[in-house]
Amino acid sequence: MSLRSLLRAPFDWLDRLCARAFPPDWNPMVQLGAIGWFMFWIVAVSGVYLYIFFDTGIRGTWQSVEAITRNQWWAGGVMRSLHRYASDALVVLALLHMLREWSMDRMRGNHWFAWATGVPLLLFVYVCGITGYWLVWDLRAQYVAVQTTALLDLLPIFGEPIGRNFVDQASVSDRFFTLMAFIHIAAPLLMLLFMWIHIARHARARTNPARGLGVVMLLVLVALSLAHPALSGPPADLDRIPPTVALDWFYLPAFPLIDRWGGAAVWALSLGLLALLLLMPWLPPRRTPPAARVDLANCNGCARCFADCPFGAITMAPRSDGRPYAQEALVNADQCMACGLCTGSCPTATPMRSAPDFFAGIELPDRPLSALRLEMQQAAARLSGDARVIVIACGSGADIAGCAAEGVATIRLPCVAMLPPSFIDYVVSRGLADGVLLAGCAPGDCYHRLGDRWTEERIEGKRDPWLRERVPRERVAVSWVARADSRRRAADVAAFRARLRTLPAIARGIRHGLAPATRAIRRSWPKPLQWTAWVALFGALAFGTGALASWPAWRVLGPEQAVISLSLRHVAKTRIECKPLTPEELIKLKPNMRRQVGCPRERWPVYVELLRDGQPLYQGEHAPAGLWNDGPSTVLERIVVPQGLQTLTVRLRDSGRKAGFDYEQEIPADLAAAQNFVIEFRADRGFVYH
Amino acid sequence: MSPNLIEWREEFRLGLPEVDEEHRGLIDAINRLHRELMVGAAIVRVTGAIGDIHAAIASHFALEEKEMAALRYDGYLAHKTDHERLLDEILDILDEVVATDRYDPAALSARLSAWFVEHFRTHDARLHHWLVGRQGQADQLLS
Repeated sequence: MSLRSLLRAPFDWLDRLCARAFPPDWNPMVQLGAIGWFMFWIVAVSGVYLYIFFDTGIRGTWQSVEAITRNQWWAGGVMRSLHRYASDALVVLALLHMLREWSMDRMRGNHWFAWATGVPLLLFVYVCGITGYWLVWDLRAQYVAVQTTALLDLLPIFGEPIGRNFVDQASVSDRFFTLMAFIHIAAPLLMLLFMWIHIARHARARTNPARGLGVVMLLVLVALSLAHPALSGPPADLDRIPPTVALDWFYLPAFPLIDRWGGAAVWALSLGLLALLLLMPWLPPRRTPPAARVDLANCNGCARCFADCPFGAITMAPRSDGRPYAQEALVNADQCMACGLCTGSCPTATPMRSAPDFFAGIELPDRPLSALRLEMQQAAARLSGDARVIVIACGSGADIAGCAAEGVATIRLPCVAMLPPSFIDYVVSRGLADGVLLAGCAPGDCYHRLGDRWTEERIEGKRDPWLRERVPRERVAVSWVARADSRRRAADVAAFRARLRTLPAIARGIRHGLAPATRAIRRSWPKPLQWTAWVALFGALAFGTGALASWPAWRVLGPEQAVISLSLRHVAKTRIECKPLTPEELIKLKPNMRRQVGCPRERWPVYVELLRDGQPLYQGEHAPAGLWNDGPSTVLERIVVPQGLQTLTVRLRDSGRKAGFDYEQEIPADLAAAQNFVIEFRADRGFVYH
Repeated sequence: MSPNLIEWREEFRLGLPEVDEEHRGLIDAINRLHRELMVGAAIVRVTGAIGDIHAAIASHFALEEKEMAALRYDGYLAHKTDHERLLDEILDILDEVVATDRYDPAALSARLSAWFVEHFRTHDARLHHWLVGRQGQADQLLS
């Protein structure tokens, strides 16, 4: 069993549940991406409001956030909570959206683009979230800052460990907070750009949820904000280590892993996961069926296929065949999903044509219309009994095995909207069957994005090509059900057939008028049950978001533990002493570089040892920085030790000597629980500690 | 007597080159069908030819509607509605031949002629005049 099919089962269950519990417009499962956009805007608007009152200075940050939260709890407090909870919801929605697309295999083949541009969005979400938590500058922010810098210091991009900026209270600067605020504002702007790229290949991309659903979700977030407001912890105090931290498990799940496994393992895991996600569309690659093909002999450049393509795969190009038309349709094979919606829109795609192997202006090479006409005729010939129905089934929709019956013939297409309306007319007016049932995906959840919408609009005469008025709509049914709901599909077919049996014979020459197709059965739950389901679902979402935003707390230190922070920055001695240059050495130098004394720049590494009650706690050699190895050596180590009285011995060697130390000091320390005991080094004063 | 059912006339010209070209092609197709009818062609040939005319005119209407929408023609809706009526009617004509399995050549020709020419006389003529008026306004502005 593949990982995809394992994922598919829970999503099938959720899809089926939501398709029954919600009206089509409100089904959250079919608009996860759009709800994600909505959350982004809530975060953006609330963020702008908070920024007006926010002080980016190290001393004023915590107080300003407290003032926003407590002095104007009814506005700033709610905004702050909305900012946090909408951000948390964004993570959940992004992950759900991604997993659902994966479960539907909608990321391989030509679908790769949306996937590959969606994965970086997750990174942006996390950058925004982590920098946001940093800005509050409470104990959680302190933990986030220390862990993040520890992680970043493993990358060979900084001259010195940036974690030294957070060694103790005195080392933190306003400058760092300005930088964080800048990143926290710039990252969402970049994210918005990527969101736009993410949907660039989707025509009519849905970026807003149904209005009612949006309002309800906003109200749920406001209710959560009032019931369980987002609050700061005690202000950051780098002289102490917070023993426990109330982590937001949506944004900060990797931080405890740094404590447990170390930064290198977390980097390896994160980068490995990222690489895997980015490569998913090609694991293994999937061949998209051949792209739609334009037959210029039948294309006059009417642009209906261009208007209907859900993936922007069709452009209108200047005419290339010398015929007296301005334009022709041009298919971009790299973007075409072979859904056939273009064929369904082509005015020449009619089965009334004379040639046995006719072509429409645009067709799928794997599914020619002339063969479809033949298949329909053969399917109709097999039908017997009353209420004969031809079911046009979506290739990605619910299983139709349960629909099999004497009077039912099924034809599968990549999408029901590939069927040109004239084929429905053909079936009904020629008496090939008593009715046509179009069996597609759940409303708003077309595998090819717009198939259900275009189908309904063509039947209702709201979109070209129209289903002709002479086709009685009670003989045309639509059955939009979730892909796992084959039972409902079978029930729809049975209900439609039952209705067909009650209809009078078709009268010719009558205009029945434009109207929606018959909906086979009612598929929503009764209202009270629906309301109960909504309250349960939204309540569970609100409870889950509120709870995991700060619970369970993560224990950073044991109750009787302290931390020793060894933070050194020291310029070691040069490897070779200065000495007068010989005439031979001088002559080798350029005239402007000649001097009497030569001083090679390269320095010795700094070797450091830390012992606790005579037992080694840390030993390490640190190379000098700089291209010429002539810069300072820096050390930043945090070591957890038991609290209590202890003798620390710290030694340093900076002269390349093989034995002994250039500096050594014994430090009697009585460490309190959660104390951050910092040992530093000054060339003029030796080791200093506090 | 001309063997053609409909003769192309200058007054049929709309002033949209690609649409005018298709009008000529449609008249040719109807005239070819007329000649088939006059020699008593087999039912399958007649229904096939009507089906082909239906496809060609559906495609033609689609192009004409695209042009009208691009020009923001004020009579778009009425014109489009007549297109849809014509598409219904040609299929009714086709169904009748298929259902009865016979045809009256003269009556069928007359019906096809009326079906096609009436639209020319009314809706296409109005579009033509609108286009001429629009061109006149543009010329005035330029002079």
